[in-house]
Amino acid sequence: MKDQMNIILVDDNDIDIVVNTKLLKLANITDNIVSFNRCENALDWLAENHAQGGFKDNVILLDIQMPGTDGFQCLEKYTQLSEEVKISCRVFMLSSSIDRGDIERSEANVDVIKVLEKPLDVYLFKRLLAAESL
Amino acid sequence: MRPHKIRILYLDDEENNLTSFKAAFRRDYKIFTTTTAQEAVQILTDNEIHIVISDQKMPNISGVEFFELIVPDFPEPIRMLLTGYADIEAVIDAINKGQVYRYIAKPWNEQELKMTIENAYDVFLTRQQINEKNEALEKAYTELEKFVYSASHDLRAPLVSILGVIKLARTENPDNQSMQYFQMIEKNVNRLDSFVQNIIHYYQNLKNGEIISAINFDNLFMEVLEHYAHYDGASEVEFKRSVNQSGEFNSDELRLKMILNNLVSNAIKYRDPNKSDQYFNLTVDCQSDKAVIEISDNGKGIDRDSIGQIFDMFFHKSEDNVSTGIGLYIVKEAVEKLEGTVDVSSEPGQGAKFVVEIPNRS
Repeated sequence: MKDQMNIILVDDNDIDIVVNTKLLKLANITDNIVSFNRCENALDWLAENHAQGGFKDNVILLDIQMPGTDGFQCLEKYTQLSEEVKISCRVFMLSSSIDRGDIERSEANVDVIKVLEKPLDVYLFKRLLAAESL
Repeated sequence: MRPHKIRILYLDDEENNLTSFKAAFRRDYKIFTTTTAQEAVQILTDNEIHIVISDQKMPNISGVEFFELIVPDFPEPIRMLLTGYADIEAVIDAINKGQVYRYIAKPWNEQELKMTIENAYDVFLTRQQINEKNEALEKAYTELEKFVYSASHDLRAPLVSILGVIKLARTENPDNQSMQYFQMIEKNVNRLDSFVQNIIHYYQNLKNGEIISAINFDNLFMEVLEHYAHYDGASEVEFKRSVNQSGEFNSDELRLKMILNNLVSNAIKYRDPNKSDQYFNLTVDCQSDKAVIEISDNGKGIDRDSIGQIFDMFFHKSEDNVSTGIGLYIVKEAVEKLEGTVDVSSEPGQGAKFVVEIPNRS
């Protein structure tokens, strides 16, 4: 159980969370999915998960445009987490933004594996996960 | 009619000159006079001065030096140098360096000087208006930028959310009737989304500088074609491609993508459903100085009346209900940014061929 992949959705849009959760499950990527509307709650969950010896393969899908802490600010906070927490995580950005600045800024971040476009292409995502496995 | 009296600051070490200047012009202008540079700076600080006149030959500082001193903090006032003919070289130098608008020869002729002051004030007003217009333009530009940025998210986010719901609904095997409705919704949402994307791309093309990188046409074509593989009607069209690239080719990838995306999506949109062997051909011949990209199809083609206008913004034919009227305009604009050319030829009913030539930026 704890060796399975766990996906963490961080998105302020509830419809996107419902849709992505179902699509990920239907594509048999994993059944372990947690979701948060706010960045801080997701980061708290990561710390807690680590403290309790929870999931060791955490894939984060982070929305860029969110009220309050946006995706970029969330990345900054993520960077400050301890190495032991981060080593069990892979971060993807997921956004409807096609702004060149947003995309370049995301891709420039060392913690970000790739920027994915909404709506999520689950099969492309599955291939990426296989290629990028821990 | 002028809104205010013209305000003039006159610096001269000789009190006599200051007095006679005042006597001659105080009825027409608001005049400030001083014999020291320090006091002159104070006056500039406390008052909105339109014209500064300075004598060239003064014991502690020359007129040109005084102007050099005030330009950084007070660039707006028009500067005029008062001098005898002996200093002509200093004057020429000052005018050439742009520090002085005019020079006034001593002793001055009252009528001429008045004319010079009036002209200088006109220049002052014109510059002020230009500055105001520039500020207004900059503001409009910033607002447009914010608008396009929020359009790229606030308009697209709900659209892609709907597309996600449709995708999910499809995956869960709905009945045929519902499936058809979903397809109708999807088709229209995609149309709206490509319009929003095109608007954003158009603006990005306008605003952004070039980012030159090495282009691998094989990968580029693959990426573009993969993107359109799920497009409405794409399954009925055979994509063919051929790449002839041996050397390195450098260009702006984002703009190349804009060009290819629009041409490929058109080839699919304007396919001819009555033909059994629908196809389009995407080829590139990479030469040392340029790349020649050709995209040809056996679609509906373009009729002769329209072919001259297809690159115009918001041009679409009345019977054409899939065009947003901006795609080929973006192609033209992006090609121009890359200093290339685009040509089109078509035989109505037989198909269309676009040839794009892009220079290599090695």
